[in-house]
Amino acid sequence: MALDAAIPAAFADFIIQEARLLDERRFREWMALFADDGTYWVPAVPDQQSPFDQASLFYDDRDLMKTRVDRLEHPRIHVQTPPSRTAHLVGNIAVEEQDTAKGEYVIGSTVIMVEYRDDVQRVFAGRQHHRLRRDGDGLRIVQKRVDLINCDGAFEAMAVPI
Amino acid sequence: MRNGHAEEIAKLIEPGRIHRRVYTDPELFELEIERIFGRAWLFVGHASQVPNPGDYITTDLGRQPVIMVRHRDGTIHVLLNRCTHRGAKVVNERRGHAARLTCCYHGWTFDTDGKLATVPVAEGCAAGFDTEAFGLARAPRVGDYRGFVFASLAAKGPSFEDHIGPVKGNIDDLVDRAPDGTLALDAGMHRYVYNGNWKLQVENVLDSYHVPFGHASTVNRDGVQFARREGDRSGAKVVETEKKQTAASWNDRKSFIAGNGHGWTSNTSLDDGKRSSPAFDEYKRVLAEKVGAERAQQILTPRLHNSLIYPNMSIMGLNIHIRVIKPIAVDRTEVNIFPIRLVGAPAAMNFGNIRLLNVTHSAASFVQTDDLESFVRAQKGLQSRLTDWVDISRGLGAEEADREHNVTRGLATHEMVVRAQYKAWLGYMGEAA
Repeated sequence: MALDAAIPAAFADFIIQEARLLDERRFREWMALFADDGTYWVPAVPDQQSPFDQASLFYDDRDLMKTRVDRLEHPRIHVQTPPSRTAHLVGNIAVEEQDTAKGEYVIGSTVIMVEYRDDVQRVFAGRQHHRLRRDGDGLRIVQKRVDLINCDGAFEAMAVPI
Repeated sequence: MRNGHAEEIAKLIEPGRIHRRVYTDPELFELEIERIFGRAWLFVGHASQVPNPGDYITTDLGRQPVIMVRHRDGTIHVLLNRCTHRGAKVVNERRGHAARLTCCYHGWTFDTDGKLATVPVAEGCAAGFDTEAFGLARAPRVGDYRGFVFASLAAKGPSFEDHIGPVKGNIDDLVDRAPDGTLALDAGMHRYVYNGNWKLQVENVLDSYHVPFGHASTVNRDGVQFARREGDRSGAKVVETEKKQTAASWNDRKSFIAGNGHGWTSNTSLDDGKRSSPAFDEYKRVLAEKVGAERAQQILTPRLHNSLIYPNMSIMGLNIHIRVIKPIAVDRTEVNIFPIRLVGAPAAMNFGNIRLLNVTHSAASFVQTDDLESFVRAQKGLQSRLTDWVDISRGLGAEEADREHNVTRGLATHEMVVRAQYKAWLGYMGEAA
């Protein structure tokens, strides 16, 4: 179908734009990309099966995401004084699952985020999966899962989402 | 300092202040590794982390790698993770299961109680080679209270009972929250590191003074923190609005010391009467069914906020977890955060605890990250050589004896607990090992 041929470009545009909102610190617009039941998950061990019985670096529903974004905009968030600057690179994009009847798609991609803050630069990298749902003419995120290659390592403070 | 003379070390600690070298001097750090981490009772792990024979975890006591492993007779052994042949670390995984422990280098194989079981090409061993003498070294003393396993790397010193006695009630306060009366540390861990001295984290776990300002970014316009517990509608009021950045209500909170550097703080006032959610209500019902309604009510009105079991572990009572503090270098520390599974509580309640701990104490959390920033900036600021002293005098002279409970009491926003930690520090440091 012609529509299906067009889908990959729309998915790629969407996840590249999602990364750009983070790099531009447009956190409120970033949060608006998520469905009302959407979650943002960064597991703390490789191949983590569930966020329900194990610790995760991030597992935010919309309520927690809002608290996170409110805090990122708070004038006295010490760990963002000065703020992080980030550059995301998203590549190796593939449609990994699709359910056209339901209008849900899982898009896999590799993400590299370089962060600079307070004289220190560091790199985060891993494979991410966006479960997207058609919403009118657009898409909303049902789940963004980022599997960092060093997810079970010890981290210095992380203030901004990957 | 090179010789670690007691008189010289004693000069670093005064009644209301401590010398900045306590945080910045690499030689003092080496002495701490020897005199504190080399002999104090240190938290190693919880029995639930090694439920079956052959299960093990690995960790470090000070800088010494150890294995906590359950042997087939059910006993837990704390072994030095160092091959007795040529010194390689034997077990390289953070946790796992093995019938025997085999060194990667030459294949020496040890039983789960540390005994040397087999040596490849045994006919090459020197005459009189005694396998009995080549078992993995073990922590000379190990103690266990309600599954909390502690070890001392010194053969002599205060008994486990003397060390842990004053804080047994603090462990009970946490464990009793489980309907089945036992905990499991089987929900993974958070790991964070910072460029700062280990004692910055130790001091912080009982520091109620920093909350209104240090955690300002977690508070809304009404001075109320986000809801941090399953079933809470909102968090604690930590800032008086439209006034200065302190909360008078915090003066109701107390801190306590009971010797050995241990201390704790009384609970944050949260409206427990209104705490409700399907998961919490079900937990409450199950708990009451197990222990009776009256006892359940006592348990659900926790007395304690945070408890420090000096020097390397704390029990955190609000977003319940066990925290283990690991010194790496004078200006580098790793902290491990273990979520608690309350055995017998509904899965949804345990998930509520895990979910909220992610946002309070993971490396990417709302609360812990601002503390880490404070630790890093303290380490940077303490490089200043024109200001030698760190002030810990809040409430000095205002401590009160609580004879009924055999403890000393102060306001939680005072610094009595920090002074008590340095009294214990001096006790360890002032004496050659």
